[in-house]
Amino acid sequence: MNQYAALLIALPLISAFFVPVIKSLSKKVVMPFLVLVTAVQTGIAAWVFNEVYSSGKPMIIMAGGFKPPVGINLYIGHFAALFVLIIAVTSFFMAVFSMKAITVEPKDKYVMLFLLLMLGATGMIATGDIFNLFVFMEITAISAYALTAYNKTGEASEAAMKYIILGGIGSSFFLVGIALIYGSLGTLNMAQIAQLAGRMNPTVAQAALAMLVFGLAVEAELFPLNAWAPDAYQAAPHPVTTMFSAFVVKAGLYALARVLYLTHAVGSWGHVLKLLIVLGTLTVVIGELSALRQTNVKRMFAYSSIAQVGFIAVGFALGTQAGVTASVFHMVNHAIVKALMFMAVGYVAFELGGVNLEDFKGLGKTMPLTAFAITVGAISIIGIPLFNIFWSKIQLILAALKAGKTGVIALILGASLVEAVYYIRLIHTMWFEEGDRDRIKENLIFGTIMLLLVALIIIIGVAPNFVWNIVQKAGADIYNAAQYIKNVPLLPGVSP
Amino acid sequence: MVMKRVLAILTILIIGYWMASALANVPFGADKMLVGQYYLNHVKEQTGAVNAVTAVVVNYRGFDTLGEVTVLFIASTGVAALLWRRKKERTAKSEGSIVLTTGARLLFAFIVLFGAYIFIHGHLTPGGGFPGGATIATAFLMLYLAFSAYEIPHKSFEVTEGIAGMGYVTVGLIGLAIGSYFLFDWIWQTWGWGHSNIGRLFSAGFIPIIYTIIGIKVGTELTGIVDSMVKEPKEGGE
Amino acid sequence: MSISVYYFGAISLILIGLYAVLVKKNLLKILVGLSIMETGVNLLLISIGYIAGRSAPILSEGVGPNQAVDPIPQALVLTAIVIGVATTALALTVAINLYETYKTLNIEELRRLRG
Repeated sequence: MNQYAALLIALPLISAFFVPVIKSLSKKVVMPFLVLVTAVQTGIAAWVFNEVYSSGKPMIIMAGGFKPPVGINLYIGHFAALFVLIIAVTSFFMAVFSMKAITVEPKDKYVMLFLLLMLGATGMIATGDIFNLFVFMEITAISAYALTAYNKTGEASEAAMKYIILGGIGSSFFLVGIALIYGSLGTLNMAQIAQLAGRMNPTVAQAALAMLVFGLAVEAELFPLNAWAPDAYQAAPHPVTTMFSAFVVKAGLYALARVLYLTHAVGSWGHVLKLLIVLGTLTVVIGELSALRQTNVKRMFAYSSIAQVGFIAVGFALGTQAGVTASVFHMVNHAIVKALMFMAVGYVAFELGGVNLEDFKGLGKTMPLTAFAITVGAISIIGIPLFNIFWSKIQLILAALKAGKTGVIALILGASLVEAVYYIRLIHTMWFEEGDRDRIKENLIFGTIMLLLVALIIIIGVAPNFVWNIVQKAGADIYNAAQYIKNVPLLPGVSP
Repeated sequence: MVMKRVLAILTILIIGYWMASALANVPFGADKMLVGQYYLNHVKEQTGAVNAVTAVVVNYRGFDTLGEVTVLFIASTGVAALLWRRKKERTAKSEGSIVLTTGARLLFAFIVLFGAYIFIHGHLTPGGGFPGGATIATAFLMLYLAFSAYEIPHKSFEVTEGIAGMGYVTVGLIGLAIGSYFLFDWIWQTWGWGHSNIGRLFSAGFIPIIYTIIGIKVGTELTGIVDSMVKEPKEGGE
Repeated sequence: MSISVYYFGAISLILIGLYAVLVKKNLLKILVGLSIMETGVNLLLISIGYIAGRSAPILSEGVGPNQAVDPIPQALVLTAIVIGVATTALALTVAINLYETYKTLNIEELRRLRG
């Protein structure tokens, strides 16, 4: 019965292949088909989530019926179940948003690329084999390249070009890392790599892990390979930007954390952690300082998103269970908040035609629901109590304290201060400055989705324990490599 | 300007030294196989193919191949989406030379046949779905080069591509239904066809079927990419 | 520290490709560099699978399971080549669109025009 979770991968795939057939029958049916498929995917993800969390055991799907490491296995543990659900729900909301927000033709190709982006991120999170991770990473990346350039403006093409070049370099480095790992261990299965990691020569391990980190840093938007991110976020269609920020970057970060923590038995692990902390810190600093100077609100949100991603990377780089759990909590909260904010900004752009700071003047009177949503999101990112990100920032600070890295605490507090400056500036523009437009009737469906996300933010902010328990299990899933190895039924005949 | 080149060369030398020092510890030509040896020992009985690489690609690591087919599909869709205009037409200025046009007419069928041979015999000889499909696309490319007004029937190629892709996932889903694992080789392992035929054409379970599907898919996809790139927007249209 | 000539060749290709991506100004030359880099990586992967004195992993007459090289890197490279082709196709399409909008393929001009 558990193997039916393979439908998480098979369903978006077969639907994407089915779209040309549907299109030749009727063009209008394509967008509703997207909403239907994402709804079904949400249902399957909810079933998987329920199974994994109520039984406490991860689902292992063996493709082809061969036991790992002979075959490829999917490992849907606590973290994967949680995030596959988040991906499915976000995609469903964005599918609904796309029905109105996408006006550029050809829409049927947009639907196919959308489904495959969702599939790629789901696969990256659910896989248990390192080369399979590469393949799903490429599926995500290539769909992202095409979706970034989808609007076909000069800006979009240039953003896509930057992304493709950086992504190509990243994936080549990732393959070199895989080559080094395969050359020294002879296997590609993540559980077996974790088991045999102690035998790796430290020089080889250091180089291989560094290459893997650089390869994943492109998707995970870490400095210096995140130069593509602000342009791509600005030029992509609005639902696509939301998807990038809500789950594509999280899939990259998860892969980074997974690869890192499974190989913690190698001799040079500390060096790789140091590399990650440096990258994360630079990401935060440059992200926050750049956000301060922006006049285009969507670009400002993009830089803010990059800075938050830096926090998550720093959390993973602390090397402790507390750090990992705090980062996972931040991933969940950040996904919710950024989904809300990019959707709201996209809606403003759709109604008013522009997203510069001037367009936001007096938004409180013109589109009060949207302005309220953006305000809640902004307040929560700064880290004000009673909203969800407050709790994850506190956890990050506590984890840094326990690990003895006081520089990280200074970083988090400093960054929150800078965030307060530019977000309060935005809130001031929206509510306290006079705009020159009349009240616009806001779409009921979009309003409902935004209110739902706002409610989630406030609920988690006021009563975080429910989510915190789930997150702790998910964090333990990543940190505890020994448990991971035990959970995967490795074939006994294939070991050195 | 010079600064940029110097920095680039420095970065490259550092990366190169680092990679070389890591590779010095991975001895060239030594037997490092772990899972590979298991594959070689068991490939004939578990999959029925004699070409071990094919068995790995389609059977043992079939999930990766599904992903690869998807990647090519995304590329084809992306190219079509980015080069989409309301009306497109071919703008070749002249026909190919007489050698090209005659040769194209004569050789087209043979090249398609050769491509089909490559993917049908994937489990016995090197090759498989991807080179086979690429060969078929080359045949169509030759027609594009030779004739200035030739066009493939775009809509039906797209539908074929979609149906071929669905076919691959359906084969996997049938495996899920019959053998309770996604991408289970139900022809070889449940029905037991071809067990006595190892080394000949009708063996190796569902490998020929999947490779045929992949060959058709890749052929139509690459031809579609060529078609999108060669056409230019019509004057007076978008 | 001595490495095999095959590893050296693969690393050189990767570095030459990386140099072209970092230094060249014409977009098509940058894409060619990316392609060379991917070829170098594929070569590296295949060289890792080689076992001295053995032949191709097709188990017909004369080649038993102990006389074949490693089949896994070859399967990996098959996938990697296709992924490289897909990336190159998409990159060239974006280059076509860039040229149609800005009428130049020089990355410094493009940066200047976008402002």
